[in-house]
Amino acid sequence: MILRPFALLLPALIPSWNFFDVIAPSPRIEAARLASPDAQPVWREFRPRPQRVSPGEMVRRLVWNPRWNETLFLVTCAERLVDHPTRHSEDEIFRRIAADLVREPGEPWLVFRLVFVSRQGEAIEREVLFEAQPRRLAELAP
Amino acid sequence: MTFESAVRLTEILLALALAQQSLEHLRGPRRDRLLFAGRIGLCGLVILGLAQPWPLVGLAVLSLAILQRYQGPYNGGSDRMGLLALWCLTLARVLPEPAWRELAFGYLGLQLVLSYVISGWVKVINPDWRSGRALGDVFRFSAYPVSEDLRGWAERPRVLAAMSWAVMGFELAMPLTLISRETLIAGLAAAAAFHLANACLFGLNRFFWTWLAAYPAILWLQARFF
Repeated sequence: MILRPFALLLPALIPSWNFFDVIAPSPRIEAARLASPDAQPVWREFRPRPQRVSPGEMVRRLVWNPRWNETLFLVTCAERLVDHPTRHSEDEIFRRIAADLVREPGEPWLVFRLVFVSRQGEAIEREVLFEAQPRRLAELAP
Repeated sequence: MTFESAVRLTEILLALALAQQSLEHLRGPRRDRLLFAGRIGLCGLVILGLAQPWPLVGLAVLSLAILQRYQGPYNGGSDRMGLLALWCLTLARVLPEPAWRELAFGYLGLQLVLSYVISGWVKVINPDWRSGRALGDVFRFSAYPVSEDLRGWAERPRVLAAMSWAVMGFELAMPLTLISRETLIAGLAAAAAFHLANACLFGLNRFFWTWLAAYPAILWLQARFF
């Protein structure tokens, strides 16, 4: 347990630098609120990107970009959840979705799934690789 | 650039970059705020040059707690460069022998060059990168484009091929810029423009600030050996 942070540090001290060597399937988080754990979800993409971002907004995000960086962290969690499932990654995704949704009135249960988008030949394909067990929103909110 | 001035400039730039990231985290979950408020305080001491080298040591220790908190880096490559710079700087301040201190700081400069060369190499050996198709995929379906309008770039194959070769070309050419101070500065300016474009198009603002923070290390290393 004590050695764990040093194991996490090691790839930073001896980096591989193989950025974007292959364009891997890309996760999208979809969430739904449910009246009960066994209700049928109506999926909505979590934090869909805007149609347009102005140049001024891009410059502003150079110094203040917390929401996008959090979204990128959730992409990392989604990839971890499929490659090496841990409770930590699932908790992080649940909590961040809950933080966004808690102020909106709606059903008391929350569920999410991970849809991975990839190119097969010329076609874009979407595949669901993970679906969480529903949790009560009230227990997740910060 | 002397060793002392290069180390000092790197630690100021890195402290500013880490403080900027930490401010963003203060907007996040409440349980993380103490961790990042502490990091802002330590960054302030580094910038002011107070109690050296202990604020750097504190930041290094805190980096382990943050890694544990997120079970790895929060934002992948940019956080890894930040960690590398932080630990190299800390060693450059606390190691007992001047040669060891130079070795630790020089390692950061070396890794900075490798970060470009290896990134360029893994792309150029991939046929999809050489044709521009891989960059097309980044725009078409990756998680990075900051808006839906940017996905339209995936439909411009000639532009994408040109952009791919421009990126691979400058990344692979980075070691050649070490020939002189002027060529290195020109190479670093091109690299900074690349990071700026990534920050604007893909929202990767952390890359921009952390890579910039490491530039004094390669400027010093170049002057030391060429």
